[in-house]
Amino acid sequence: MRTSGPPVLELRNVRVSYGAAPAVSDVSLDVAAGALVVVVGPNGAGKTTLINAIAGVHRIDTGELSMDGRSLRQVAPYRFCEHGIALVPEGRRLFTTLSVRENLELGSYRGAARARRAQSLAEICTLFPVLEAKLEAPAGTLSGGQQQMLAIGRALMSRPQLLLLDEPSMGLAPLLVDQIMDAVVALRRDAGTTVLLVEQNAVAALSIADRGYVIETGRMGHAGTGAELLRDPAVREAYLGL
Amino acid sequence: MPSATLLGQSILSGVFIGALYGLLGLGLSLSWGMLRQVNLAHFALAFLGGYLTFQLSNRLDPFVTLAVTVPLFFLAGVALHWFLSRYAADTLNTLLVTFGLTSIIEAGIHWFWTADFHRMDSVYANMRWKAGIFYIPLPEVVTLGFALLLCGAMWAALRFTDFGRAARAMTEDAAMAAAFGVNEKRLGYVISGLASAFAAVAGVCLALSHTLAPVQIYAWMGVVFAAVMIGGLGSALGPLLAGLLIGVSEAITMAVTAPTWAPLVSFSLLIAIIVLRPAKF
Amino acid sequence: MRVAAGFAAFALAFAVVPFLGLPAFYETFMYLLLHAIVLATSWNLLSGYSGYFSFGHGAFFGAGVYTTAALSGKYGWPFLPTLPLAAGAAALLGLLLGAVVFRVRALRGELFALLTLAVTFVLATIMLNTVDGGPGIQVMAAIPKIAPSASGTLYLMMLAIAVGTLWISYAVFYSRFGTGLFAIHDDEDVAEVMGVPTYRFKLAAFCLSCALAGLAGGIHAVFVSYVTVAETFSIALAVNVVLMSALGGTRHWLGPAIGAIVITALLYACTAGEVAVLGRALVGVILIAVIVLMPHGILGKVLKRREGPVVHPAPVAAPAVITRSGPILVARAVSKAFSGVQALSEATFEVQRGEILGLVGPNGSGKSTFINVVSGHYTADSGSLIFEGEELIGRAAHRVARAGIARTYQIPRPFPHLSVLDNVALPPMFGLVTMDRASAQAQAWRWLEFTKLADKAHRFPSELNLHQLKFLELARALASRPKLLFLDEVLSGLTSTEMDEAIQLVRAIRDQGATIVFVEHVMRAVMELTDRVVVLTYGRAIAAGAPRDVMRDPQVVDAYLGTAGA
Repeated sequence: MRTSGPPVLELRNVRVSYGAAPAVSDVSLDVAAGALVVVVGPNGAGKTTLINAIAGVHRIDTGELSMDGRSLRQVAPYRFCEHGIALVPEGRRLFTTLSVRENLELGSYRGAARARRAQSLAEICTLFPVLEAKLEAPAGTLSGGQQQMLAIGRALMSRPQLLLLDEPSMGLAPLLVDQIMDAVVALRRDAGTTVLLVEQNAVAALSIADRGYVIETGRMGHAGTGAELLRDPAVREAYLGL
Repeated sequence: MPSATLLGQSILSGVFIGALYGLLGLGLSLSWGMLRQVNLAHFALAFLGGYLTFQLSNRLDPFVTLAVTVPLFFLAGVALHWFLSRYAADTLNTLLVTFGLTSIIEAGIHWFWTADFHRMDSVYANMRWKAGIFYIPLPEVVTLGFALLLCGAMWAALRFTDFGRAARAMTEDAAMAAAFGVNEKRLGYVISGLASAFAAVAGVCLALSHTLAPVQIYAWMGVVFAAVMIGGLGSALGPLLAGLLIGVSEAITMAVTAPTWAPLVSFSLLIAIIVLRPAKF
Repeated sequence: MRVAAGFAAFALAFAVVPFLGLPAFYETFMYLLLHAIVLATSWNLLSGYSGYFSFGHGAFFGAGVYTTAALSGKYGWPFLPTLPLAAGAAALLGLLLGAVVFRVRALRGELFALLTLAVTFVLATIMLNTVDGGPGIQVMAAIPKIAPSASGTLYLMMLAIAVGTLWISYAVFYSRFGTGLFAIHDDEDVAEVMGVPTYRFKLAAFCLSCALAGLAGGIHAVFVSYVTVAETFSIALAVNVVLMSALGGTRHWLGPAIGAIVITALLYACTAGEVAVLGRALVGVILIAVIVLMPHGILGKVLKRREGPVVHPAPVAAPAVITRSGPILVARAVSKAFSGVQALSEATFEVQRGEILGLVGPNGSGKSTFINVVSGHYTADSGSLIFEGEELIGRAAHRVARAGIARTYQIPRPFPHLSVLDNVALPPMFGLVTMDRASAQAQAWRWLEFTKLADKAHRFPSELNLHQLKFLELARALASRPKLLFLDEVLSGLTSTEMDEAIQLVRAIRDQGATIVFVEHVMRAVMELTDRVVVLTYGRAIAAGAPRDVMRDPQVVDAYLGTAGA
């Protein structure tokens, strides 16, 4: 377990409200370097709002958000990626009219990653061989599973320190979910990337996690190792009401 | 039926006028497609550019005036984007505000240059070649050249550069583009500036081959909007191709019926495309 | 009464002008003022009230001008009989255009503006090449002698139309029709789902608007006595009416008239030579300033400050007794796909009369699609939906609402420019029993009391917090007294205490006699509230029954927590 490393990402009493989306309040969370941390919770609990705030897509109202000890509160949204953060958003949100290659290239649009673009692209193609054959196809023409791979690939192009994954299993068949999860595990093992994964599919996510948090109606509930939470009746209650 | 020569000459002039439609449409297409701003003032700006060229032409070569008008208009585009993104809440409001701006520019032109028709005298005005049975006037060729050059260059920039990828990504999902490092604010200024700068070039072409009068500002709106909407918002080559198509069909209409029927072509096309494909815009 | 007196005073004050023997200058100015009032107010009937900004008012005005000009100028008709035809021609044009345009869902906002602008040029081109022929038409019509001079008579006629137009504007503003138009302005889809026949309303407003503009055009043709295409179908007219209405306030019946007076006076002050240019520039500056600084116009400010008495009526009537039992809604093999994604895949289940049915399932399982299909927002690809013995598929959304089905939205979609009271008063005007505005408001007060929103009745939705907005959604859905109510994630985003309140409220709603389909992710609430649960995954109903049994079903556990051992 690598949960004891120094925290890369720190959230302290964060409050985010974004239009009519579920708000999160008073959330504190640490992600240790090299760890795979999972946030689970039923739909509407505020998971996406939280992860979008970490990615700079939403502004946080109060509280502190820092990466490597540096506060991100005054950082412009387009500069979050310079701090080593990359997002795989809910619903993938690919640039569907752009080609697969262009989507990947945009992943290394800013900063030092740009210089290693060709190398990164080759690596992504090794990680997801299906993408290589489709590099020139518009992203919108890919199947759901391929789109998810592209979304992950796009995020990896910047060689992030912290990868944020928002519901990568949504809408995918079980077999594909396994593939995606395997890729996440491999990535963390081989590249040492820190991963924060937000999932509704609790079993799949918690079974690969070092540490998990349960979020319910915008607030943090139980926390523990993945295995602990899997056994925790509170998780079942949050999901199934039993 | 008109003779084959007349018809051929008509089609040729349709190509030339269509090039100008495409050139005028380029800026409109970028600001509407990428920034969601329907900039009616684009036409007034192009005419302002034409008048400036006209004014400076007694001292400078018309093409040299571009060195003045292009940077100036780029800044105007930046300022316009600042104003619209800050104060015009939605697309309809950008249309209303730029309608107001059109009135102001039109009145300014009227005040400075009067409502009279002006025609620029330049060394290029009467240059023409005879190719076979057709006359090919130089100003029109220049217009076609500018249109091909700028639309082509913009197309290539959008297609092959990081700027272009960022711009297209921003068009589709601005928040996601920002998450991957695209500074959408700055990009918006650049695009708006470019769109205006293109109006300056279109202005020179207007001054070279057309008469200038404040009322003429409105005459171009329907046709160019039709070209932009048929060609595709945010596209660089689309408006040019659609412009050529419209130009030629107008020219044929004029040759076959009467010149006064010409507006019917473009405006009917505009209506048809709005009714049939509204979701595209 | 006060309004009627106001109208009489206005009419009388203006009517004496031709008899005062003033210089012609004054009469002309007053005529132009009335002319502007008619055009701006008639434009506002469609564009201001329903938000379909038209840039083609010049076309409809021009249709009237050219009808009268052609009939009396070229064919020697007497003047008066041409007027109904002028109005009719414009209305017919509006009807034909609207019949096509209003069927197209995405054709709104800037597209409608551009389309109507294009119509102006098309009509102008046709007129130029046919009726007019190029040089313009001289209109020499015999004018009935009502006032001392011919121009005086025209002035009085325009006055009559102005009074009539203002009266129509006023009457529509306070009617069921007007409320429907305002709802279309704010959110057309929601309006339709709440029972507003949006297509018919838009068409009616458009025809009315065009007819009045055409009528004014008929008189104006004789007033100017010489008409040309360039002058008639001018863009300036379209811009001016938009500006007048925006300046005065498009959401008030009197707004366009106020704007018309200001702008006409301004333009008239700048008619001579150099100053005319200044006038046009000023119009541009004012247009921009109004859009940016005063988006609701002069009268918009007045409307915002309106504060009425708060009513606390008796609690809602005694609970309805559920006499019949059996299914109220039967869904059989309902399928719906969106560009390859099968959102509903032969979903089959029943909703029993009087129950609270929990409709649950993981994200993207088709719950929201199901509600959208039932409410008529989407049409199912196949299958059948029988509500009280009648097929719902293929029915327009407003007719589904009339049958007694209501829904709430997960992300509240109130009509932002209607007060909380008006938001709740809208559904009773278009629901199972259609009420007039006054009784609908009385009804609305009771539901506001029921949801504890009565104190906020005169506020606007933007002033409410999320919790209150969710309750507003409920009040709106309840006010139509539906037989079947779909609650789409009413609890999401609420705090625990707010949630308890909401759960109490849902219980109280059931006690009113409504059948409820409760879509929710907060499982604690589902367990507490529902009689039965249906689970959807991948668009299919995989389990149905008592909540505790269903949620223990291994298939359901899988669907929720993911495949064990993955």
